[in-house]
Amino acid sequence: MPPKPHRILLDRVSGYADEAAAYVRRRRISRRPFARLYYANGRSVETGHSDAGAELFVAAGRLIEVAGRRAKK
Amino acid sequence: MPDAAATEVALGGSADAALAFLTEMSPDLRGAAILGADGTVLAAVGESERWGEDAIALLVAADRAEGEAVEQVHVATEQGEVFALRHEGLIAIAVTERFALASLMLFDMRSTLRELAKGDLSPAGGGQPTEDEG
Repeated sequence: MPPKPHRILLDRVSGYADEAAAYVRRRRISRRPFARLYYANGRSVETGHSDAGAELFVAAGRLIEVAGRRAKK
Repeated sequence: MPDAAATEVALGGSADAALAFLTEMSPDLRGAAILGADGTVLAAVGESERWGEDAIALLVAADRAEGEAVEQVHVATEQGEVFALRHEGLIAIAVTERFALASLMLFDMRSTLRELAKGDLSPAGGGQPTEDEG
């Protein structure tokens, strides 16, 4: 006997929701803190793991503090 | 010949309009500031003194990293993301929520600074930059 149509719909929707949740979870885990610098000649470097990177994180932390937690949306 | 103080005041007024426009355009924005090339805060959301000090500290650290002046900085932390951009002799600093779209944010900052430098953002003009970038 074939499953009832509303069950198919429910399965489909919850399947999409699971996919989306997994995507967001993966993105959060994989997106580690970083510091990237871009130069006028098109060159870019990632300095997150150097002393300069540590300084950048400290300076960025202060700016985040100044901006506060209030988001517009 | 216009005197320097009058020019500074005029640019400051335009910078407020530019900042208002940037804030309106970017839903992920928590706060931002626009600085002159010398580090003078032209406009800021909140405490302008602290914005000036901390923005300059960020840019000094960034310039020191490779011994070369940076054009853009993007720092992402657990608490939020920070963008800094030098363009047309002006500096824009923005703090956003995590996972903000970096390319869009930098595009908005760049176009805001360009319009501000061109003088198209007057306080009386409503602060609507022209969208002439492809």
